[in-house]
Amino acid sequence: MSCDIVLVGVGGQGVLTIADLLILSAFEAGIPATYAPTKGMAQRGGFVKAEIRLGRADVGPRIAEGEADLVVSMERSEALNGLSFLKAGGTFFLYDHVWAPTGVMLGADAYPDRAQVVGAIEGVSEDLIVLDPADVPSVDGRAIRPNIFVLGAMVGRTALREILSPELVEATIAGRWPNAAGPNREAFRAGLEASG
Amino acid sequence: MARRILTGNEAIALGALRAGVRVVTGYPGTPSTGCLTHLLSLDLPGRHVEWSTNEKVAFEIAAGAAWAGERALVTMKMSGLNVAFDALISIAYSGTNGGLVVYVADDPGVSAGMAEQDTRGFALMSDLPMIEPASVAEAYALTQEAFELSEAVGAPVFLRLTTATALAHTVIEIEEEAPPTPREPILERDIARYTKAGAVICRDQHAALIERLERAGAWIHERGLNRLDLSKQAGGVGIVAVGPVAAYLSEGLEAAGVSRDDVSVLRVATSVPFPRQEAESLLDHCGTILVLEELEPHVERALIAAAFERGFDGRVVGKLDGTLPRIGEYGVAEVARGLEACDVSRVARRSEDLLQATGHERQAAGVSPAPRPITVCAGCPHRGTYLAIEAAIEAAGFEKNEVMVTGDIGCTILGMNPPFDLLWNEVSMGSSLGIAQGYVHAGSKNPVIATIGDSTFFHGGIPGLVNAIQHRVRLTLVVMDNGWTAMTGMQTNPGTGEAQQPGGRRVDLEAAIRGLGPDRLSVVDPYDLPATTAAIAESLGSPDGVGVVIARRECAIQVGRRGVTYGIVSVDPEACILCKRCLRVTGCPALSLGDGSIVIDSALCNGCGLCVGFCPTGALRKEAS
Repeated sequence: MSCDIVLVGVGGQGVLTIADLLILSAFEAGIPATYAPTKGMAQRGGFVKAEIRLGRADVGPRIAEGEADLVVSMERSEALNGLSFLKAGGTFFLYDHVWAPTGVMLGADAYPDRAQVVGAIEGVSEDLIVLDPADVPSVDGRAIRPNIFVLGAMVGRTALREILSPELVEATIAGRWPNAAGPNREAFRAGLEASG
Repeated sequence: MARRILTGNEAIALGALRAGVRVVTGYPGTPSTGCLTHLLSLDLPGRHVEWSTNEKVAFEIAAGAAWAGERALVTMKMSGLNVAFDALISIAYSGTNGGLVVYVADDPGVSAGMAEQDTRGFALMSDLPMIEPASVAEAYALTQEAFELSEAVGAPVFLRLTTATALAHTVIEIEEEAPPTPREPILERDIARYTKAGAVICRDQHAALIERLERAGAWIHERGLNRLDLSKQAGGVGIVAVGPVAAYLSEGLEAAGVSRDDVSVLRVATSVPFPRQEAESLLDHCGTILVLEELEPHVERALIAAAFERGFDGRVVGKLDGTLPRIGEYGVAEVARGLEACDVSRVARRSEDLLQATGHERQAAGVSPAPRPITVCAGCPHRGTYLAIEAAIEAAGFEKNEVMVTGDIGCTILGMNPPFDLLWNEVSMGSSLGIAQGYVHAGSKNPVIATIGDSTFFHGGIPGLVNAIQHRVRLTLVVMDNGWTAMTGMQTNPGTGEAQQPGGRRVDLEAAIRGLGPDRLSVVDPYDLPATTAAIAESLGSPDGVGVVIARRECAIQVGRRGVTYGIVSVDPEACILCKRCLRVTGCPALSLGDGSIVIDSALCNGCGLCVGFCPTGALRKEAS
């Protein structure tokens, strides 16, 4: 059982943290795993990508275009930068957050609407999951961390579950931030439940 | 033995500790930075680890320690090796005593900038062995071999990773560290070995250098670092997989539908010295040879020369016959394409898919992602400097497109991007000064401005400034002094505050520049736009001589980590007319469009207040925090 995942988003969304948690979980489970980050030079606001390879030891860190079992985008426009990695018939997971670059806010650059992005994805695979940021619940009146929520939904709703159990990932998150175990557990479980 | 999640950079760091390294030096440069950063995070009694002023200094320190008999490691990105190379050739001629390992990270695909430089060419030029691990686990093991090899033959040894392996996190097994063996430094006076005193000495050293590389080849062969695996049937395809490409062999064979048993494989871990014996065995056994190596066809050329000598009458498939590119990173697709060209692919469709996959769907859908040019962080002092330079050009009576503003390496180059569109070029560490002087001597009638960061100035900018002062060049230099080597992830440099560099001493940038004697020198706060603009404009208006403006304010990320803010900027939604001027002028990531007014992200805004002055209605206000 193996799973090749490409995660894309914008610096500051916690994309690389998701990748870190996945590889830590795989480490605990004794599953071969590699994670290769790609990030721009800026601290924040630039394109970020993580390539995660679970279940195989005899592979290099990069995933070829058209070969990912699962592509996850944390941002609508960046979904188009992740799409070329998706295997025909693979799963695309879109967390439909809009992070408009300054050029878009100034009206100088175009930004794709949801229908355009969904249409492009469906040209490659029908297996599309869209999560609306408005549906991310708050816990005790506080907004929860979207990346932990998305990680929960990834585990709940994709083939990732067959490799990493929800209990294992939840324990990994708790071990990583012992002081925020409660809120993170809520965010993770909300994501799992969002899987319905 | 312990299982750990490590990056390739960290594996080299721990491999060096296992090998008993005593001195580690380097200069930050993506993707190599993580090696020395990891060592600095550890408590390492009896060892010395430092970020040096530049790669040449770093290399010389490591070489001196190795001459004195200790094991030493020096780390840098490929561009840094260019800087160190003058000293490196000399040390190559002399040889070393203690093990000296030069870790250099290449970047095929240029995901970390600057160039697709293949540093194996430097190994060829300097006649030094270069070891190229194919994985994180190999990086750990081969770092130890590199020290052994260096001491076995008395030569510096290169260790080369590429971006994906340097940055990849994976699980490997590591062993206990070995502390350096306490010993007295070797103080050997032998000018025939340690100087370049005369032609005879240099020619003798050259002969010794060539002989060391030959011995390295024999040592590597004996140690089996280049692994040959011949198929049962002779006459088939032989694959030469060089360095990191070997990691994609299994998948590439699967994709092409080729059984591992039907091909012979030579995994090359040392392009230099070329593994001649293994290559000859492969040539004797196979009818077709596929060479898989990123960037330059160094191994392919050496293999073709060996094939010619042996009267090989088969095909060599690689870059030179046009099958594979000299550009970019190799992965599964390139392995599959190579196998297809060898006519052994059985499931052509799969590799066809691999080759066709690139971005087609996206284009077919007729929709593109929004451009996301990188810019400086919220609160970055450089923002003020860029705005002041532009305002000063105008104040001095010039158009922006009439005044050459040269750029340099590091965060300061971000002024090339919108909304500033200020810098014209970027060359190498410190080059902003020399390039600017070239424009002056070429007859520029308008003022010329050079821009540089503090770490880059210490690294390579000082000689350029000395030159400008000596030759009375009419030039304005703006040093953006934020106290950190920021773009590579916040490393210390000579100008970093002493509280932030335990044990180190802060070198006074202003005093250093004053000592060189520029015609004008001022120190300004880039958050103070009028003062910064005035200082730059005054220099632009001066008819001759060198003016230096130091725009000094600590990196916003670093002060933010210490909890420092400069006030609270708020928006009066009633007063905001959504003209977007603040956004257009500053491009600050803390500003965005809300419903009916500009919104400030209070988690990002550090209260620098630069946006406030650009609001025409007074809707943006700054208060003390």
